[in-house]
This record gives sequence, structure tokens and C-alpha cells, in this order.
Amino acid sequence: MPAPINTLKGPSLAMLQSQMAAALLAADREAQELPEDLFAGAHPGSVGLRVHRNTVLGALSNALRSSFRAVEHLVGEAFFDAMAVAYARARPPEAPQLDDYGADFPSFIDGFPGTEALPFLAELAHFEWRLDELGRQRAGRLAGARSLLIAGGVRLHLEASLRLHLSNYPVDRLREAILAEDTGALAILVHQAGSYRYALWRAEAGVKLARIGAAAAGFLEAALLGQDAEQAINAASALGEAEEIAGLLAKEILPAGFLRIEAVESDKNNPMKSTT
Amino acid sequence: MSESSAVHPIPAQAGIGLRMPHHGQVLATRPRAAWFEVHPENFMANDSALAELERVRENYPLSLHAVGLSLGSAGGVDRAHLERLRQLRYRLEPGLVSDHLSWSIHGGQYLPDLLPLPYSEEALDIVCRNVERVQQALGTAILVENPSTYLRFAASVIPEAEFLAALARRTDCGVLFDVNNVYVSACNQRSDAGEVLANWCSALDPASVGEIHLAGHAVVQAASGEELRIDDHGDRICEAVWALYEQAIQHFGARPTLIEWDTRLPAFEVLQDEAAHAQSLLDLIARHAPAYPPMPGHQPQAAYAGAN
Repeated sequence: MPAPINTLKGPSLAMLQSQMAAALLAADREAQELPEDLFAGAHPGSVGLRVHRNTVLGALSNALRSSFRAVEHLVGEAFFDAMAVAYARARPPEAPQLDDYGADFPSFIDGFPGTEALPFLAELAHFEWRLDELGRQRAGRLAGARSLLIAGGVRLHLEASLRLHLSNYPVDRLREAILAEDTGALAILVHQAGSYRYALWRAEAGVKLARIGAAAAGFLEAALLGQDAEQAINAASALGEAEEIAGLLAKEILPAGFLRIEAVESDKNNPMKSTT
Repeated sequence: MSESSAVHPIPAQAGIGLRMPHHGQVLATRPRAAWFEVHPENFMANDSALAELERVRENYPLSLHAVGLSLGSAGGVDRAHLERLRQLRYRLEPGLVSDHLSWSIHGGQYLPDLLPLPYSEEALDIVCRNVERVQQALGTAILVENPSTYLRFAASVIPEAEFLAALARRTDCGVLFDVNNVYVSACNQRSDAGEVLANWCSALDPASVGEIHLAGHAVVQAASGEELRIDDHGDRICEAVWALYEQAIQHFGARPTLIEWDTRLPAFEVLQDEAAHAQSLLDLIARHAPAYPPMPGHQPQAAYAGAN
């Protein structure tokens, strides 16, 4: 039991809130209790504290559940709640907008006891978080969009929401198989560890995804880091799939739909400029 | 305190708590609803949902009902959260802004619940200070709601109704009177809900009551065997709460009344049905009661006479 509190006057509000917050998040049963002489209601204080604990931990589990649907589907509701409650106790949110809560949940569940047979679980969670983040963005926003001027006065405008996502598993297909409960596909996909690269962006119809190769990923990574067109092309070439930029654009980048092309007369004097 | 005028005031009619699964239907069919209320925290990190809400806002008056200001925090109101709410208020121009007589933030941690306060002089001073700060930042008076309670502190020396009345008197905030919460708290404390409501009516200045909430709740058996009522907003409003609502509007007059439903969300038409019932009671009252008065700057009645 925690140290007794002088209830003649009672603890200060700050002290009471500190003790109550600790009791609500505690995993240890003894630490979940507060001295009963703090309370004077029709029920023991522990009954009310249990209601509040259930509300707090339930709300946080539900917030995570909405972001990590496939993870929950894969491990089951009870096991997901166990991971979510452990996470909530270790890393409670710092702000009331719970859409932002869970950014490091994927890292937290990496190696979580009981998930040893699911080595791809954390990577699946990282992918779901990226989808969730993009899904919360407003479609069609050009603010912050990056553009690259390539030789010949052609400007490439990348979607402002464009993100490059790398994984050691085919997480897009894993997620589809899990949500579709396609156990046959899942059994095959879990053995397909490798290097997977995705371009993800927010379109009007939702989050879009394109699987891309190493050269295209190198090009996009450089562009997203603010490098100019020449540096981006060099980055693509350095990845061992050297192609001329036209070929790369035609085969992988242009069909994906996350950029548009514009001929720009006025930028001819600065043919490799990158802007945001 | 400066005050900005709401572009679309909330009418003294029955409105509906708008939740995201209903956004699409509301945008596509523009259903009959006097006004909508949303939790602003659901739009602070979700620009996609905010874009939808802005479109809803074009056709309906809107109220922002916050859950994260933590007006009872001994550490004060979180500056960053207040700024996020301030930005939303100027973007959405809601007719009302409200939060709860509770706390949820301590030591930089947010606990997503409406945690109870001891109703003490110290707590009253702290809540007054926090409400004044919020109103200063937002440039408008807010409404503060009585929460459902599941425990009572030994340090509570001020009756809840008088605590909220004193808060309204000292800060010029209004009161969001949640009838379901009165019923849930009374049952959980083994008090007579009718007597508790009468105490509220006696303590509150009717002019300070700017909005009423109605919701369903759950009845559960605690592990220790006690029956508890949980304010889960997951069912139709029960008969006992409808009866208390009639008494409340007979006393306070017709007020903007919200149907809240958060868990096990039903079809939008069920919410419209509940709102229609509330509206029928408001219509009856409106024929006999005084017109809906302006809430800010109300002339308070004598209530809790504790130290200021």
C-alpha cells in the first residue's frame, strides 16, 4: 500500500492528482490502490478507481486498435489489448489528440513476449502507422510539395504527401492477406523476407501505394531529402540499376501517379534546381 | 475579457453529437438536424476529417465540446492544447465551446477520462484560474459540464451543484448541464435523483445554463458486487433521464439540447429519433417558459457563499 496520507486536511490537489495518475497506470495491484480514507462515497474508492482505470486503458487500446487493424486481426483482440495496455503504461500519451498516439508502438512491440513466431509484426505495424498518418492528411494539398527541374526545362512536381517506405517483408500483401483472412497467402508471404520499397501518398480516393525498385527508391529518397535532380539521378544510378533517367521515369515513377510533369520556360537557366 | 460573436449561434433546439462514421451520410444527404456538436480533439491531428467537418459546417451550426482542456489540473491548462483549440475555434467559428469539470492531464501525461475533483476551496480556485485562462485565450465564455462520478472524495466540502454555480459566478462561464450525468452520479452515490436535480435547480442561476446534454448509459455489476451505472453514451436515453430532463427544462427554460452517442454507434436515424423526442419536449416548454437568454454575462443568483 502507498504511504498513508494526512486526510485531516487531505493532500493538495497536485499531490492527489499525482497519486491518482500513478494508481490508474500502475500494473502492480498494490500500487493501483489509494488509501480508502481519501474517499467518502457510497462505494469503496477502489471501485470508482477501477472504473476510471478501465476507461483510461480502454480508450488508449481503442485508439491503437484503430491505427493497427491488421496487427490486431493477426494477434487477436485479447493479445492486442495486452500489448496496448503494456504500451499505455510505459508510454502514456502526452496530449489529448489521440490520433497522434502510437507512433512508437511498432518499436515497442518489436520482440514483445509471445510474438517470437511473428518476426514481421513490428514491420507490419510500422507500415500501418504510415498508412494511418497519410490517411489523416488532407488530399490535394500542394503546400510543401517538392519539385525538381530536369534538363530540357521539364519540371517534376512530387505529391506533397509522398513518402518512401522500406521494409524487410512484403507488408502490403501481408496486410491484405491478414485482413482478408487468407491464411494460404499468409503462409507463403511470411517466408518472403527481402528488400521491399514502397512509394505512399495521399490521393483524393485515399492512401495510394506503388511498389518500386531500388533505383526509383534512391531517386525518390534523394528528392525527398531536398537534393536536386542531378543528385537524385546519381543516387538512383549508384544503386546498381543504372538506367537513364528517362527509362526510370517511364517504367516506375511516371505510371505511379505521385508526380506531374510541367514544361517550364523560365527555369532554363538553372536546369538542376530543386524547390519546395 | 474580449468577446467575439459567434457567426452561427446554437439554437435552443435539439442537436446531435456528430461522429466520424456519420460524416459521409451527413455530407451526402444533408439530413435534418438543428445543429451538431463534435469533440475538437478528433480534428486536431486529422486534417482529412477536418476538411469534412468544414463542409458540414457550411450547412449546420456547430458546437465544440472539448474533452482535453483538463480544467481541473493543478498544474494549469496545457498551453499547446489550448492553442490548438484556439486555432480550431477561429477556423470553425462554433456557436458554443465547452469542456468538463474534471481533470485528465498531470505531469505531462494525458489520461483519456474525465477524472473527478475533490470539491474543495483549493480546487475551486484552481478551476476558476484555469477557466479564466481558457476564456482569455479563446476570447469567449465557455460552458463547463458536470461529469458523471463514480467516487466521492472525503475532501469534498462543497456540493457539486454549488461548486459549479460558484465557478460560473466567479468566471462568467456558463454551465453545460448534463442530465444523464446527474442521474448516473446520483444512482452511483445511492442518492435520490429527483432530490439531486432539485438541488441543481436551486443552486444554478438559470441564465448561466447554456446547453443541456442527454445520453444513454450502461448498468454493470462491479467485481465487488455493487451495481454501477457507467456513462458510456452507448444506448437510448432511459425513461428516468427523460423525466429529469422535463423537470430541468421546466425550471431552466428551453435550452440547446444535445443527443450524445459514442459507443456502439447506431444508424444516424436513431439519433434523429432521440433528437425528435427531445425537440417535442422543448416545444412544449417553449410555449410557457421565458425565451432562451444570452448566457455570457448572466446575473447570477446567490449560491455557494464560500470564500472567493
